[in-house]
Amino acid sequence: MKKILLLFLLAVSLNAADSTLRLFIWSEYIDPAVVADFEKANHCKVTIDLYEDAESMMAKVQAGGGGTFDVVVPPDHMVVPMTKLNLLAPLRKEALPNLKNIDAKFLKPPFDSENKYTVPYQWGTVGIYVRKQKGKTIEPTWGLIFDPKLQPGPFMLIDSMRDTIGAALKYRGYSFNSIKPAELKEARDLALAAKKRAIGFEGSVGNKNKVVSKAARAAIVYSGEAARGMSEDAETVYLIPKEGSQIWLDSLAILAHAPHQELAEKFLNFCLDEKIAARISNFTQFSTPNEKARPFIQPELAKNPAIYPPPEVMAKLEFLTDLGSNLRLYDEVWTQIKAR
Amino acid sequence: MKARPLLTIPTAILFLFLYLPLAAVVLFSFNASRYSTAWTGFSTAWYLALLKDDAALSAVKNSLVLATSSSLISTILGTMLGYGMAQTNSRKIANLLHIPICLPDIVQAVSMLLFFSLIHRWLGVFELGMSTMIAGHVTFQIPFVALVVRARCATLDRSWDEAARDLGATPAQAFWHVTLPMLRPGIVAGAMLAFTLSLDDFIVSFFTGGAGSTTLPVLIYSSVKRGLSPEINALSTLLILASAAATILVTIIQKSPTIPLDDEKNPAAVPSRGFA
Amino acid sequence: MKRIRFKSASLPVAWLAIFFALPLAGMLTVSFLSRGSYGEITLPWTIENYRRVAGFGLLGFDPLYPAILARSVGIAGATAFLCVLFALPIAFFIASLPGRWKTIGLVVLVIPFWTNLLVRTYAWQILLGPHGWISDLFAALGLIEAGGSLYPSSVAVMICLVCDYLPFAALPIYASVERINWELPEAARDLGAGAWQTFRHGIFPQIRAGMLAAGALVFLPATGQFVIPDLLGGAKTALLGNLLQQQFGASRDWPFGAAIATVSMVIVLAGLSLQARFTRKET
Repeated sequence: MKKILLLFLLAVSLNAADSTLRLFIWSEYIDPAVVADFEKANHCKVTIDLYEDAESMMAKVQAGGGGTFDVVVPPDHMVVPMTKLNLLAPLRKEALPNLKNIDAKFLKPPFDSENKYTVPYQWGTVGIYVRKQKGKTIEPTWGLIFDPKLQPGPFMLIDSMRDTIGAALKYRGYSFNSIKPAELKEARDLALAAKKRAIGFEGSVGNKNKVVSKAARAAIVYSGEAARGMSEDAETVYLIPKEGSQIWLDSLAILAHAPHQELAEKFLNFCLDEKIAARISNFTQFSTPNEKARPFIQPELAKNPAIYPPPEVMAKLEFLTDLGSNLRLYDEVWTQIKAR
Repeated sequence: MKARPLLTIPTAILFLFLYLPLAAVVLFSFNASRYSTAWTGFSTAWYLALLKDDAALSAVKNSLVLATSSSLISTILGTMLGYGMAQTNSRKIANLLHIPICLPDIVQAVSMLLFFSLIHRWLGVFELGMSTMIAGHVTFQIPFVALVVRARCATLDRSWDEAARDLGATPAQAFWHVTLPMLRPGIVAGAMLAFTLSLDDFIVSFFTGGAGSTTLPVLIYSSVKRGLSPEINALSTLLILASAAATILVTIIQKSPTIPLDDEKNPAAVPSRGFA
Repeated sequence: MKRIRFKSASLPVAWLAIFFALPLAGMLTVSFLSRGSYGEITLPWTIENYRRVAGFGLLGFDPLYPAILARSVGIAGATAFLCVLFALPIAFFIASLPGRWKTIGLVVLVIPFWTNLLVRTYAWQILLGPHGWISDLFAALGLIEAGGSLYPSSVAVMICLVCDYLPFAALPIYASVERINWELPEAARDLGAGAWQTFRHGIFPQIRAGMLAAGALVFLPATGQFVIPDLLGGAKTALLGNLLQQQFGASRDWPFGAAIATVSMVIVLAGLSLQARFTRKET
């Protein structure tokens, strides 16, 4: 009995040994080698917890009251709610000299105009990842998902509220951020009809894996997942629909009650370094907002239109905006889509 | 009553049905291919990959720490409750204990999440993590341990306790030196049940977990959601072996693999609460 | 003397009061509060969450939630029924085994149940997926096309539910079967009753309580099942458990989730008291 107690105490104390940085991030979104380098340079340990969709991240952070993790990676539309709920810590510019590396286009984004709480991490788009059909070019349209006549085969929807509802809205020509109940009802009905023909809902990574393993022929994914899938399987391609789609920007942020604030700031600055940022983007195959890092991006990635789309495609992309109290409307629609 | 072929055949089919999923997992853990759709050859590669997988090893550590701590606490508390119940012989309490056992775990889990979050906001204690998970696990383990110990108490011969008192022992001494040793098989069985329940639990760990506290079942769930990594088959096979070993061990100790939920009047024997 | 014995139980009872009863009471309270714009819990007090559960939401009346409740109760009921049905031959078989073999039979029955539910559930994903053993079987029988998949679907969810809960049902029924007084059915036989009548009048009344307990043990927890419809239903067979998980996860609508959880609790308590009353009548 005593031996067990001793072993238990030992285990608990070993847990509390080094200083630890707690990172909460999307799965497959950071190069493990980069993390290892940070651990070595700062004599610390980094624990990584993963999430598959933005809303679950928010739920976990909110439930923990802003103190469970140190660094999180909120998507653009989550930043305003998180700041309103006092979940994010203000950043000290002196601690982030590498911030100047960021492309001016992505500095001072609409959701954080002074970079008070966030620094840009990765950006990307939402689109459709399909298996090529022999001798036929597939038209890039949301109709592949929402029009039964254009269905390429078994397909997956994405388990993310704003992305699925937004795609349906865009297909009908409405804004990705519409708050008109009539338009949302149309989107809901479209999504429900698609759900009947779809295999199911999963996150972007799971969707990509389903297409690669041939369990599905098409899926809604984020650009980086599609890029990694395409390098695994050359018979697949990423399409940004002609009706337009979403451009998103993920940021790094520090939680308000983070236990290791200084270490977290070091981590943010570390990721803003041009060589490190390039390594991260080369791994995730998403697009980097770091201008100084562009020369270090692998050429195949830099030339890939899925990752760095041409200007005419960029013009059709919308950022998600925060919906405020209208989020409740989306919640209701999403519940109806998932539950009926 | 003699066995008839009318019974044997459906029973055999049903047992096959029960073991099919386990067989599939064990088989494909040795499959050389990444995907569990076709057999491409025998390989132990996934077991070796497991040893290098930091996330898996960390999950194993978390699960073991959680199961051990919660079992220790719940066995002590559950034994106290079971013994107290046996003394008062109240049907009401026994029926009340049915509630935590039959209530869907997700309801218990979300209510605990709510509770811990609010307490954390007001008092600053109970940050989501190992401590909240241990508290959550102990809570659902206590009723099971209590019922096991109570059933064991029913088989006790009170005359030993009385004899000890007659010879001058205080009630506490009589309990510690006479009753407790006789209760030991029941206590050990209860502890093992608590341990397995904790190891298998998914829902409570999922909702009340925090940073770096991912347990094995939560890891398996995230891997399945993301698109199976074949190491999970290997991990699951090891889990299956551990559960089988535990069942056999409990049977040897208790002479029966079942844990009686109630007294003889209302038999509702339950092996464990393995649902997530 | 009694005072000392009560002290033994007071600490665990206090624990359960704090960590079981109090959170449930807290949840009941939260179900009458509102959700703020960013997902926080705020005043005012309201019964709107319950109105939403009954179907009166932001986009007009929609029987979605009552339908989900009904579906969950229905599937749980069907699962309980099938489990009790399938448990009967198993229980009688094990009871008919001689001496030590009984224990071995029970161990064989119980081992799958002690294994992790998640493992068994995703194993069904393998079995029912494209080119899985069961899918191939069905394809060979011409029921689905070759290489097709039986999941995600509500059939897959039911198969897995029954497989997972079967041992849970078999044990109470086995306990009843073990204690059957065989003189009754034998007497009936001697008096010329047919097989069905013998069962109905000689055996069934003796195992009725066990069957009811088994049904309750399967039905009540099954109403809140979340993992199985989540992994095998592909978000197409949304049940109570999935709804709860969504409210406490992505939707961050804790008051609404609390209302759903409270309704679920009421169902369970009602079921338990019904079962207790019925069993009391028997004994």
